[in-house]
Amino acid sequence: MAAADVTSSSSSRPFANARLPFGIFAFLGLALFVLGIDQFVNALTLGAIYALVALGYTMVYGIIELINFAHGDVFMVGSFVAMFISSSLLGNEGAITNIPLLAGSVLVLFALTIGVMAIVGALIERLAYRPLRRAPRLAPLITAIGVSFILQNVIQFFFGPTIVTVPQLVPIEWSIEVSGSRVPLLNIFVIAASVALMFALQLFISRTRTGRAMRTTSMDRDASSLMGVDINRTIMITFLIGSGLAGAAGVVHGLYYGNTSFNLGFQSGLKAFTAAVLGGIGNTAGAALGGFLIAFIEVGASAFGYGRWGGAVVFSLLVIFLVFRPTGLLGSHSGDRA
Amino acid sequence: MKVLNKKGLSALAAVAILAAACGGSTASTAGKTLTIGVSLPLNGSSLASAGPARDGALLAIKETSIEGYTLKAKVLDHAKEGAHNPDQAAADMLTFVGDETVVAVVGPFNSASGKAQIPVSSEAGLLQCSPSNTAPGLTKGDDGAALRGGRAVNYVRVATTDDLQGPAVAVYAKKNGAAKIYILDSTDAYGKGVADAFEAQFKKDGGTVVGRTGLPTGTTDFSAVATAAKAADADSIFYGGVTSDGAPLFRNALAQAGLGALPFYGADGIYDGTGEGSYVAIAGANAENSYASQAAIENIPGKDAFNTKFKAEYGKDAEGYAFAGYACAQILVEGIKAAVTGGDVTRETVRAAVVDKGSAFETVLGAVSFDEVGDTTQRIISLYKVDGGAWKFVEEINYGN
Repeated sequence: MAAADVTSSSSSRPFANARLPFGIFAFLGLALFVLGIDQFVNALTLGAIYALVALGYTMVYGIIELINFAHGDVFMVGSFVAMFISSSLLGNEGAITNIPLLAGSVLVLFALTIGVMAIVGALIERLAYRPLRRAPRLAPLITAIGVSFILQNVIQFFFGPTIVTVPQLVPIEWSIEVSGSRVPLLNIFVIAASVALMFALQLFISRTRTGRAMRTTSMDRDASSLMGVDINRTIMITFLIGSGLAGAAGVVHGLYYGNTSFNLGFQSGLKAFTAAVLGGIGNTAGAALGGFLIAFIEVGASAFGYGRWGGAVVFSLLVIFLVFRPTGLLGSHSGDRA
Repeated sequence: MKVLNKKGLSALAAVAILAAACGGSTASTAGKTLTIGVSLPLNGSSLASAGPARDGALLAIKETSIEGYTLKAKVLDHAKEGAHNPDQAAADMLTFVGDETVVAVVGPFNSASGKAQIPVSSEAGLLQCSPSNTAPGLTKGDDGAALRGGRAVNYVRVATTDDLQGPAVAVYAKKNGAAKIYILDSTDAYGKGVADAFEAQFKKDGGTVVGRTGLPTGTTDFSAVATAAKAADADSIFYGGVTSDGAPLFRNALAQAGLGALPFYGADGIYDGTGEGSYVAIAGANAENSYASQAAIENIPGKDAFNTKFKAEYGKDAEGYAFAGYACAQILVEGIKAAVTGGDVTRETVRAAVVDKGSAFETVLGAVSFDEVGDTTQRIISLYKVDGGAWKFVEEINYGN
């Protein structure tokens, strides 16, 4: 299935295809021109959140070929954990204008939420998926849907079924001027934090021993096991990282939108899953790319007054891709798959 | 309020079978149970607005006693995952239809649920009274006739319709200085309908609609639409939809896009008090300068007396649709009493007593009567504004008969 040489230096990755960076820049340029800077920033921000969630789908699929339907809800739980930490533990009520305090609070918020969600993700893997690893493919899929409902109901039990407000720590008034447009620092922060996490993940997968173990496991679990890779540990780490990223997405969602609700995971999960498929499921760079692509389509639709058709366009695109290019934008078999 | 549990239901069924087996010669035996169904969305964001309607209806039912009969209420909640669910509303109506003791129903709350319920209740000839449905197509014209399937009118409502509510808000917005409006709707029967009516009136009065789109329930990202409103240089915003569709999220996104100072107009979908999950609670400080309407009378005769009674029962003030819910139950009770006087209490006699009544019902809302399709002839729209974190009454427009 996978043809790439895993032992080679990955400096030429993640973009195996040389035309791709050019294509991305051309697309971004066109989008900036068509949408204008305000909507361009909106799309990048939304895309960053989709991409962070999509990474979790694609990593898990890459390594155990499970479509983890609970992942959207892991993201939702992440947003509630972030809300709880921010408002109850740190006692935040709204924007913090003291810069060192703000930086400290945001860092603590990210670290704690990512930590808690990584543990939640690993627990889900240990309790719900590992016992079924040798079961028919349908069994873990159904279990994943079950986990999704459990997470929704647990959150509903503790926080109720209404929309819950989340403290927006970064003041929304802070902004910079870019060619006459007001670009909020909040958006820039969301984009920067997400992109930094994505690069960190890319480096982790391509440069570390554990990353290499993840790649080999995704290619041939039995062979890797014979070579001394601890499969259980590797799969658990994949869940740790994927859920941690979903936790980060939850933090970012709360900071950006200032609210969350228990049914956040379904729609966002579906979009992120679509992003993963569009990019080539199992391919981390592709998932990120797919997330941004979907965000640009949705924002473009809303910008031109066709908001009600945004979802239809996104999912039509998915159907077209599945029919004509089932491996997605970047293909599901590239070497950085994990 | 407890819904009958399984044991209770089977006990009821047993009694019914026993009664049937004994073969009563008269249809209505003394001590017979009559039930008024209450079909509303009662959890999540829906509870803030529909809860008072339920409380009002239950209070009216509790106060009533009919000689020789036991009057009961049966509440079914059709909110799923925090939002009203038309499929569940239709299923609940089927449950009521299947329960022989149910002779009339209060509800539903949302027009989309009304659209789902009317064909079911109409088929069974079961009378229902909605405290809050406002979509004109539920009763009027070809749409209304199609929902009834050519059968007699079995659905009445004490709220007037969006073809008045939307325009009332439009006239008010215009008077408030709105010239260039951006419209967003929730794409469902209520949201799109009220936005259409608003748009038509606003244009008729010389206003400009600088942009319009729709985003369905479940949308979390409103930033692109907020930016579009900014790019279109709108001076006011109209949102057609309810709180759980995302009205407060849209308001927050507007503030984030730098449009927090613009007046934000909505209809009764965002007029839901200040409780948990309400528009004002979620939008917080951004809710200031928001305007909403209610398709009902605000200056209720004897409001204080009613409030005292309501507070004694529930420990809180009567607000929002508490009055309408009470009025609906009052009307159904009048119908049942008329049927009792006529000597034969069936769904048909109760329905006929309410629908065919020439004169007005004396309700907490004042005198209410219904036209040939079941719409109230009390055509009053009330307007409200968020001021200091709570809704304040602004004015009342009476469109007369």
